[in-house]
Parts: sequence; structure tokens; C-alpha cells
Amino acid sequence: MTAIFLRRSRIGSSPHPPNPASRAFSLRSLFSLAAPSESRVEAPKPSRFRGSDGSAGGSVAGSGAPVGASWVRRLEEALGRSGCPARFGGLRSFAARAAAVEPATSDGLTVEGILSSQWTILDESEGDWKSHAAAIAQSISLIKRRLQWKSLLVRLELLSTQLNKPDLWDDPQHAGKISREHGRLMAKMREVMGFEQELLEHIDMIKLAREESDADLELESLQALLRMRRFSKEKELEALLAGEHDSCSCFVEVQAGAGGTESMDWAAMVMNMYKMWAQHRGYGVTVVDEMPGEIAGIKRATIKVDGEYAFGYAKAEVGVHRLVRISPFDSNKRRHTSFAAVAVIPIFGEDFSHVQINESDLRIERFRSGGAGGQSVNTTDSAVRIVHIPTGVTATCQNERSQHQNKASAMAVLQSRLDQLEMARQAQMNAQHTQSLTEISWGNQIRSYVLHPYRMVKDLRTNYEVSDPDSVLEGDLDGFILSYLSDLMDKDEASP
Amino acid sequence: MKPCTLRPSFVRAWPCIASNFSTSFFQLPPPPPPPPLAHARNVTQIRHRRFHSSLSAPPPPLLASSPPSLPPPLFLRPPKHTTTVSELLEWHSWAKSLAASVGSSFEDSDNGPDSSLLCRELNWLMDDVLHGFDPSLMGKAVARDDPDIVISLRADVQELYSLWKQRIEERRPFQYIVGCEHWRDLILCVRDGVLIPRPETEIIVDLVGDVISKDEGLREGLWADLGTGSGAIAIGIAKILGNYGSVIATDLSPVAIQVASFNVQRYSLQDKIEVSEGSWLEPLKGVEGKVAGLVSNPPYIPSDDISGLQAEVGRHEPRLALDGGAEGMDDLLHLCNGAASMLKPGGFFAFETNGEKQCEFLVDYMQNQLPGSFCNVNTLSDFAGIQRFVTGFRNR
Repeated sequence: MTAIFLRRSRIGSSPHPPNPASRAFSLRSLFSLAAPSESRVEAPKPSRFRGSDGSAGGSVAGSGAPVGASWVRRLEEALGRSGCPARFGGLRSFAARAAAVEPATSDGLTVEGILSSQWTILDESEGDWKSHAAAIAQSISLIKRRLQWKSLLVRLELLSTQLNKPDLWDDPQHAGKISREHGRLMAKMREVMGFEQELLEHIDMIKLAREESDADLELESLQALLRMRRFSKEKELEALLAGEHDSCSCFVEVQAGAGGTESMDWAAMVMNMYKMWAQHRGYGVTVVDEMPGEIAGIKRATIKVDGEYAFGYAKAEVGVHRLVRISPFDSNKRRHTSFAAVAVIPIFGEDFSHVQINESDLRIERFRSGGAGGQSVNTTDSAVRIVHIPTGVTATCQNERSQHQNKASAMAVLQSRLDQLEMARQAQMNAQHTQSLTEISWGNQIRSYVLHPYRMVKDLRTNYEVSDPDSVLEGDLDGFILSYLSDLMDKDEASP
Repeated sequence: MKPCTLRPSFVRAWPCIASNFSTSFFQLPPPPPPPPLAHARNVTQIRHRRFHSSLSAPPPPLLASSPPSLPPPLFLRPPKHTTTVSELLEWHSWAKSLAASVGSSFEDSDNGPDSSLLCRELNWLMDDVLHGFDPSLMGKAVARDDPDIVISLRADVQELYSLWKQRIEERRPFQYIVGCEHWRDLILCVRDGVLIPRPETEIIVDLVGDVISKDEGLREGLWADLGTGSGAIAIGIAKILGNYGSVIATDLSPVAIQVASFNVQRYSLQDKIEVSEGSWLEPLKGVEGKVAGLVSNPPYIPSDDISGLQAEVGRHEPRLALDGGAEGMDDLLHLCNGAASMLKPGGFFAFETNGEKQCEFLVDYMQNQLPGSFCNVNTLSDFAGIQRFVTGFRNR
């Protein structure tokens, strides 16, 4: 699998070419999670930054070891000694400030220092501590870039200030939101800081061991560094999915562009690609809505992709996908270009404050209805469409076996659409870097799939390309998704 | 009124049905118990068998006049048949091409199903017949070049051929083919001789839900579903009543009574719903003026329209449940009069009708022929926008 993957070249250059070593590594670790075998389901879920409640920050799910704990404990001890009166509020803002102070070894070596001394990075098996340390430092730097480290610290400081306001809990909903975001960012910050601290501690230990000629201690610390080096590759990947809603399940929608049967067939191929991608990843896939084309393919379809980080990955697919091929529907065997648009809608969890929907704002109708209905008609088709009158947003479900359940599914889609609309509206107000997923213009092409006269799939955003369209159409999308996500992070960090 | 005042008369009718239907109808043991109990029960059953195997023979049916037993609904049968993926695929592609050959011919002739709907039914048939096997894996078996993977089914492939032939060639309703209808969040068993509950009728339960959420007194009372058929409305109401109130479900047809009783037991609602055989209001004798709510989906199709019905309905569903007399109003009018005498002051009624004409006629009838009996009489549309329901309250 790895071999196949590595054969694919990455032609062209992005504005910020990442370190080739780290990319190869992160792609490999991605594949270890996504190999198309039964064992994938058993493979440990990628551990993510936790701490939405703001209390249990620092621990790394899956690793078993609370990476940041030692650092946090020392910080709290320090605070205890300083006798800070507002302990928790003080802790928060102190922690944010402390992050600006770089951790260092006893002789003043920092992660930045390691990076700038440009130690040669040898293979893992070489057992050279400088090499391990340099690789880990590089990962830390990449993770920080992906987490938008500087703006994260600024945001954290801002949230801490708000949390310390005495009247915060006058508006519990707002307070909950602030405190959740604070907890989430704090956990991330602590984890990275803890990781950094741990690296420097091991370096200290190695230096100490050498001074005292303690071979056991040196070996032990070296092995600890190697473990960290391997672990850091996993962390790099996780940092790509650190967005607030990345862990959600989602709906994926595909709509055929102009061009009749040709495009409808392409839309069906695209939808199938996502179904297979999701199944390979171990996600649950349910068809919510499907409008078949008259002759072949689909006009439009919605699937629900259920599982952790479904949205985080799938959001990379939003936009227009273009196909060039010899048409199977054209008796003259001419080359055709078809388009399909993809939208992805996050399904927010319990703790998200959903848009309130008033029953009276809804118009519910049978999707296809004819004749007298009632006892005169026996049909298994009970599709419904729900129209949210104030916004004009609609949702349809036709794949359940009862009208009641079609209505419930359509309501879930409607809720997510309205939530997304509201989120996009708020994002505009806050002028954050939130990509609006609601409006997809047909000019917004993200990827080309060429089956004729040559064979290639190329992402127009990242220039990532693959010369085997069949595997991509069978759901092998992770390379595209990952390269897009890393590029997105680089761009975000570059912009002020 | 307390529901228990009328219990004795029902209990007399109930035990023979309750003890009998499970053996005569669908040849099935009572519905599967919930998982934790299932384990315990299995243990005792095994022990029972071990010690008394020579003695335990199935009891003979108690009712001589019971309708002929049918095979149980597909989804409740044990997966004791096996076949290879390739054989199943062969059947599937045959079934699919048969469905495709229909095109829009049924739709054009009597508003019947088109190919795409039949294909969706085929998927559902697969869902019901496959046991613990994801249909999408079928393609994979082919991709892995192993079409001889053995899978277990709830019916043998020969039966599947014959079932799908019945569906297409005889226009036998899909719900009779699989033996069930998904209705609201329920899976109701149905069979020939019983009306298949319609999606429109789901709304009656929502209407009752709205009413009881505003009036606790009605929630605690007795609700009647007259002409219950498969028991759909009665079960829907019983579930939203929760721990309050009770329901009586009546029907003239012995088949309907058995099917309804089976469904009631499958949802463990036998303590909440009395299923009672009899014409319309007859089983309600003794509770005049005490009923909190009265709902019904009575036969309302005008007799002359029966011959022109969609084949699935006209050829296969029971005329008793469809034919409402010359204007289709015979039973609806009878129920209006019944509601006036049965409902307690403030009691609620909801009836399903054939459409706008019948709705208007009923409203007019109630206001002019039964003046002062009802208030807040309204008509309501189904999701297709057809005036479908008449609702109102008994005057206080």
C-alpha cells in the first residue's frame, strides 16, 4: 500500500512546500490508519486533542501518558506558592502568558535553537540523539504552524480575559461557549508545550548521563526520544484536524452540473467515490436522499457520514469536480467534460447551540404525490420535503421506509443546514478564517479527473496529482485530502 | 371515568385471542423479548427442552374458525436458509430486470409504482431477507472473485423468485410480500385480509399527540381506534400516551383482530390496548359518554370507484376496509353519530376521509344535523395538500 502510494508524485509546487521528510512521514502514518483491510477497523482511532470542558487538558487520548501533566503540575505548584488569590482565573491567564516564554534546557537550548542549528536528521535506526531531537523539533514547529500557534495564544489570552469578568455567567449560554472554546484551546496549548518540555527534559537527561557516564540512563533517554519522534508524526496529522467542528459527523451532498445524463452519471461516480472512501475509513454511510437521473446517474444525492472527524476530512472536498472522458452515452465517442458540485455540512453535537426551529415556520409536503392518496393508493414511496419558510432552506428525505422517519431524517438535514448557515453568518461577523461551505459557485473548480486522452487526477488548489484515476474513484482520496489540509494550514499561518 | 370500569367485559373477549393468536397466526412464537431477558429465557428454554423434550408438542390451535396461517413476515423468520452470493446475485439481477421492464406502465395505467420505486422495494426486500450481511458487501464478494461465499437468508432463493413474481406480475402489494409495513417508528406485521396502513394516517397520531400535550385529562382517559386493521393507530397512540390512559382497538374482521393482537404483543402493549372484535361502536357498550378520544380511518372510497383502483389496492386489499358505500360516507356518518354519544364532554375525535368533498360534508353534517354536539370542528390537510382529516371536540 505504501509502495503504491509513494509511487505517486507530487508535481508542481505549493506556495509553501513543506519539508519532504515530514510529508512522506505523515502520509505514511495516514496510510497506517487507512489501509484498506479489515484491520483498519481495529486500528486505534487517531487520538485527538481533548479538553472541551476545559478541565482535563494536557492528556493525550490513546497514548495513556499525560504528556503535559508534569508541566502543568509544576505550573500549579508555582502558582500555589505565589498565593495567587483568583486561582483559576490566574492560572488561565498565566498559562497563556507562560506559553509565550519558551521552555529551555538547563543550558538554554530551545526548540527554536535546535531548529536553527540544523542538525542532520538521520534515519530513526541510527540512534543519534541530535537526529531524534531535530526531527521532533521539526514536528513541533509544523504542529505549531498547523495550530496557528500565534493566533491561538492571542485568542487564548482574549478568552482568559473574558473568563475573568465577574459578570460572565449572567449569560450562561455565552459563558458556556467561551469556556468550552477556552478549554479546547488550552488543552491544545498545554499538549504542545508539554511535548516541547518533554523533549528538552530528555536532552537534559542525555547530557547529564554523558557527564556522569551513566550508559543506562543515556540509553533510556535515547529510547524515550525515539518514542517521541514516532509519536510526533501522529501529532502532526492530528494537528490538521484541530478545528472546532472537525470531529463532527457530516452530510456529503453531490449535485450534477449542466449537461444532462453525462453529468448525472459523473455525479453518481463522485458520490460513489465518497461512499467508498467513507467505508474504507470505517465510517457509517447512510443514503438520506437521492434523486436519480432519467437515464443514468443522479441529479442530486445526500449521504450521512457517521464517525469521528468525518467533517474534518470531508470538508477538503467542497467545490466543483470536473471530469474529462470519452462519453459512454455518446454514440460518436466524443470527449465530454462534466461537472459535479460537492457540499459538506457538519452535524453539530449535543453541546452546540442549535438554531431553534419553530414548527410554524415549516411547510411539510409529500415529495411526489399523485391521485387521491389515502386508502385509494398503496405506495411505498413516502418521501417528504420540508421547507423552512423564513430562510427558504429545504431538505428532502426519501430513503426511509416510513413517512415519519423520512420526515425525521429530513428534519436532521434541515437542522444541520440551518446551523451551518448560522455559523457562516457568525463567521462573517467575527471575520475569522472560516470557509463558507454553503455557496458553491460552478466556477469554483477544485479538482480535475482526466480519463482521456491521458489519465490523471489533479487537485487545482494544491497541484497534488495522481496518475491512477481508478483508485481515486474507488475512494482513495486521503492523499488529496491531506495535502489540501496541510496547504490550508500553511496559508492560514502565512496570512496575518 | 376510570378505564378499569370497563375492563371485565373486555377481559372476557381477550384471553382466547391472547392465548391463541400466536400459535395460529404466522406460526410464530410470541414476539422476541428484549435482549437482556432473551438470554435468560433462552437458558430456561434449553433446560426445559433437555428435560421434557419428549413431552413438549406444540398446542393445537384453539379457534377452529381461525384464518389459514401464513408464513411469518420475512424479517421475523429465523435465518435458516443458506445460499451463495452468486445465486443471490443471479436472483437479484433477474428481479431488477423484471422491475426495469415495468418502466412507467403501471404508473400510466393506474398510478402504480414505476421502475425506480420497484427497485427501491427490491433493496428493502434484500434488507429483510438478508441476515447480518451488508448488501453493499455483495459487490465486494464479486470484486474479490469469491462468488461462492455462503450467506444465510430468511427465505430460500426459490421463494424469493416466487415472491418477486407475485409483486410484479400479480401486483401483490410489497407490504404483503415482506409481511410488514414500516409506519411511523413502528414495524407492523400485515397480511392479506388486513388494510396496509397508509403514510397519511400517521398524522392522526400526531394530532392526538398535540391534543394530549395540551390536556392532561384527555391523556389519562380511554382512547378508541375503531376499525383498527393492523392496530397501527392504536399502537401509535398507546406509545404517545406513555404511562397514562388506555386504548381500545376494535375491528369487525377476525383477521384484523389477530393481526392487531399480534402487533400489540410485539410491542408489549397488551396491558395498554384492548383488541376487541365487533362492528364500530358495539364493543364500546357501557362506556357511552366516557371516551376521551375517538379516532378512525374507516372505509371511505365510494363503491363505484373500487373497480378503478390501483391494482395493488383493488385486487389485493380487503374491500371491507375500503368500500364506504355509495358516497363513501356510510361509515363516516355512523362514526359521527357515535362520537356524539360516546365522547365525554371535551373529548376529541379525528377521522380520515377521502378528501375535500367528504371533509366539507362531514363538517356541514356535524354543524347542521348534530347541532350543539361538537365544537372546534376543523379540516386538516395531509402532506400532499389534500384535505384529509376532520377533527373536533365534544361540547362541554
